[in-house]
Amino acid sequence: MTSQDMRSAPATSAAGAGTSPPGPDGADEREKRRAARRSKWYQRDAKWSPYAFISPFFLFFAAFGLFPLLYTGWASLHRVSLHSPTEMEWVGLHNFTRLLQDEYFWNSLSNTFVIGIISTVPQLLMALGLAHLLNYKLRGSMFFRVAMLTPYATSVAAATLVFAMLYGRDFGMINWGLGLFGIDNIDWEGGSWTSQFAVATIVIWRWTGYNTLIYLAAMQSVPNDLYESAALDGASRWQQFLHVTVPSLRPTILFTVVISTIGSTQLFGEPLLFGGSPSGGASNQYQTLGLYLYEQGWTNFHLGRASAIAWMMFLVLIVIGLVYFLVAKRLQKSH
Amino acid sequence: MHGRTRMARLTPRLSAVTAVVLSATLLAGCADDGGGSSGKDGEVTLSVGVFGVFGYKQAGLYDAYEKLNPHIKIKENSTERNEDYYPALLNRLSANSGLADIQAVEVNNINELATIQAAKFVDMSKADGVDGKDYLPWKWDQAKTEDDKVIGLGTDIGPMGICYRKDLFDKAGLPTDREEVGKLWEGDWAKYVDTGEDYMEDAPKGSSFTDSAAGLYNGALSSHAKKNYDEDGELIYKDSKAVKESWDLAMRAVDGKMTGKLKQFDTSWDQGYANGTFASVICPSWMLGYIKEKAGPKNADQWDVAPAPKPANWGGSFLTVPEASKNKDEAIKLAAWLTAPEQQAKLFEKQASFPSSTKALELPAVKSAKHEYFDNAPIGEIFSDAAKDMPTAILGPKDQIIGEQISNGILSVEQQGKSPDSAWSATTKKIDDVLDE
Amino acid sequence: MAVLTSATPKEEAPGEGDGKRRTRTRGKAGRHLYAGWFTYVVLGFFTVGSLFPLVWTAIAASRDNARLAETPPPFWFGGNLGSNLQAAWTDANMGKALINTVFVAGTVTVSTVLFATLAGFAFAKLRFRGSNILLLLVIGTMMVPPQLSVVPLFMAVAELEWTNQLQAVILPMMASAFGVFFMRQYLINALPTELIEAARVDGAHSLRLVWHVVFPAARPAMAVLGMLTFVLAWNEFFWPMIALTQDNPTVQVALTGLGRGYIPDQSVIMAGSLLGTLPLLIVFAVFGKQIVGGIMQGAVKG
Repeated sequence: MTSQDMRSAPATSAAGAGTSPPGPDGADEREKRRAARRSKWYQRDAKWSPYAFISPFFLFFAAFGLFPLLYTGWASLHRVSLHSPTEMEWVGLHNFTRLLQDEYFWNSLSNTFVIGIISTVPQLLMALGLAHLLNYKLRGSMFFRVAMLTPYATSVAAATLVFAMLYGRDFGMINWGLGLFGIDNIDWEGGSWTSQFAVATIVIWRWTGYNTLIYLAAMQSVPNDLYESAALDGASRWQQFLHVTVPSLRPTILFTVVISTIGSTQLFGEPLLFGGSPSGGASNQYQTLGLYLYEQGWTNFHLGRASAIAWMMFLVLIVIGLVYFLVAKRLQKSH
Repeated sequence: MHGRTRMARLTPRLSAVTAVVLSATLLAGCADDGGGSSGKDGEVTLSVGVFGVFGYKQAGLYDAYEKLNPHIKIKENSTERNEDYYPALLNRLSANSGLADIQAVEVNNINELATIQAAKFVDMSKADGVDGKDYLPWKWDQAKTEDDKVIGLGTDIGPMGICYRKDLFDKAGLPTDREEVGKLWEGDWAKYVDTGEDYMEDAPKGSSFTDSAAGLYNGALSSHAKKNYDEDGELIYKDSKAVKESWDLAMRAVDGKMTGKLKQFDTSWDQGYANGTFASVICPSWMLGYIKEKAGPKNADQWDVAPAPKPANWGGSFLTVPEASKNKDEAIKLAAWLTAPEQQAKLFEKQASFPSSTKALELPAVKSAKHEYFDNAPIGEIFSDAAKDMPTAILGPKDQIIGEQISNGILSVEQQGKSPDSAWSATTKKIDDVLDE
Repeated sequence: MAVLTSATPKEEAPGEGDGKRRTRTRGKAGRHLYAGWFTYVVLGFFTVGSLFPLVWTAIAASRDNARLAETPPPFWFGGNLGSNLQAAWTDANMGKALINTVFVAGTVTVSTVLFATLAGFAFAKLRFRGSNILLLLVIGTMMVPPQLSVVPLFMAVAELEWTNQLQAVILPMMASAFGVFFMRQYLINALPTELIEAARVDGAHSLRLVWHVVFPAARPAMAVLGMLTFVLAWNEFFWPMIALTQDNPTVQVALTGLGRGYIPDQSVIMAGSLLGTLPLLIVFAVFGKQIVGGIMQGAVKG
């Protein structure tokens, strides 16, 4: 048994067995046994240590991640009220089928996409441009980098509070500034495009600097000779950016797109605090999926519905994740 | 305790943070503050669960009671907003644990509890020293269950008046004397809107007649007895005369461009006070302090208060004692004491909470009270009169959420220019969805 | 974050090495150009945009309610900063909140980084049954909306009677799927497999391997993950709001207590907002260079 073990684990036993010096039979036996024990230990170690390494994470994950996920899945098949969360009435897929005809659901879904796009696209484009500029030889570059990262340190609550004041209709600074150009006061919160724009700017403000640094880092790892040969070919700065920088950054760009997509699908704090209510405006003009989930669960007390919405969000993200995966594979192949 | 929790949101943004989530929902569901406990030597600690600022502590009432009853210690647990407090209370009730010895309940929720959870509360009408006749009849009845059990004792109420700015009224060619102003709309909310039309004809630049159409809706609706529910507890808001009339009035006001298009308790609403952008606001008694603070010394001598077209109530609370309380007898005594006329009068003096006790309303400290900031308006008289003639409003379990949705509907007409019809149908649709009809 | 993707770098991550390299290469190759005035104008514009909301928070915090309602809005500091900060400090139980938050964010950071490094290493370099499925599970978890787990989490916390205790906030944040994924992506390239094999041949058992090989290799990414986690934990408000109360708050929870008074004071609210952000801002100002360098290094390698 022992010897078999040793043979079947040559890589690990080699060290132990190989170093044992020849000696008296008894000692050799002992040494052999010790080596065997050791190798057994190693084998067990090799086999089980991965599980040991992941177990702390999975222990917490099971308790605080998986359990809630499954529980919510179970709850989504029931009619549950916040009045008495333990009393569940089985309704099958009703909560899901009802979503299909639920205009508020579709409204919040489309709001989520619109806000997602108008926050992600300009944000990443600006980050790309800024990273390009920061990549020049530049005085005070560290100052610029740190300054642009400060919004990242600001909490959603603090950021939204100040933006909501700046966007005030009658006495906000933005309308005051526009007023200098003869533009009438805009009811940012009341309008649908304006409110979505306002919420998007909060997201843009918080994340542009962070993404800039990510891009900058990626840009700095683009090999010099690519630029040099492009310069030799007479490419202008802009052409170099377009034909050297951007293609080299493709994986990074794709990644930031996905992370931003996940973030904007789960968008919650900004729209909630912007108007101060989970309805996301008087006619839900900036209610996102996360907000709708919250309204159903904690204002209307329909926990089953809220759970179903949560699972729909989950599904949307999985689809996005799959798309990302496929595109990434494509990219890898084309390289 | 104050009605500002009504459909209002206190500092919407910040408190939304709080709300963020069942915050309390559950938070309290089993938070640290369990029920009171009995210590050694017969010492009893009573816990009182309230939302917002009830003012008992601030007015020194707990201290006074502890002095009178040396074996009692009182501990108050306060949750900022009723929107957080109430779900938490529901959760504790269904779990039968984590309840305080006394739980405050807002007027918008008292009916729901009296309807579905009556068994969980002590019948306060049978408590020693409590006499239903001491309270305003409509207030007393609001906490009554079908079988005449009374689950809560009235604390304060929120009789409404109209707060107005004399300078703006004057510039628009309207009278400024509070009696004359009151006459303008006496007896009919429609006259208030008529006055608004007059005002707008000659309105000072940059000002509107009233702050918000939803505020007008709320005021007009509150003067009706039958609002969202009928006597049998049926939901009738879609065909309710009160809802229809009040909605139409609000629409007329929007149409006449006489509203400031503001959301009450929003930051811009506050700023409207500071800048005098609207000339009047429908104000329950507890709102006067708010206006004073927000309008500030800059606008002193401008504000006054006149009677509302019809008596109506906005806000107010009850004290209940859950059956699960570990110190039921002592808790009942304390609740009765806190809501007794003398204490209500004291609370009015210190915290401007308007008494719900008829006896307290007769006390000189209340009856002859004046408010300095509002040009020494006789608020005691104005609000007492309103309190006495108030209709016994029929409440229902979902009044609050219906009110919120209708406010949103009105706001969508006011701010976004939706047509009243489409706003109404969108609103009813949303309410149906929320109520799961 | 970009760890996951960035193509294998063809050269060392530069950090601030631009200048030196410039001497080597002549010509107009991209990054070696000196910035023109236009660059400074654009960067200046965005710097102002990044800083302005924060500066204005401070301005608003130094004024009073009445001034905040006037037009034009204030552009410079007023005299009430001290009193507003003091009001916010006492109202919001800020002293305790700061201590609590440092403790929470610190604990969460240390354990997240540790757990994520261990698990990330296992997923990156060790072969074991079920690893693919488990990894997929981890990735899937990142997509779960956080709002979803609140109800069951709360019930669990309630069952354990942890409400209003810090562990109720700390424990759920310790399992960071993003962290595991982050470390895995980093270690896949940053930790050569031969190194592990060599250590094994030398007879190192797994714990020693982790201590002497994995941790040193993972250090840059650990630092980045640590910073990301700390900022995240500091600013987390959704779950703490449910689990804690004003008696034992974190900073974000404490801030929400500011509206509690009878009449909310906007300038005090802004002061509180400033108090909650200031510690992180100071850290950024002092260690900005390291943080920026860290994020970039973590991003490039891999």
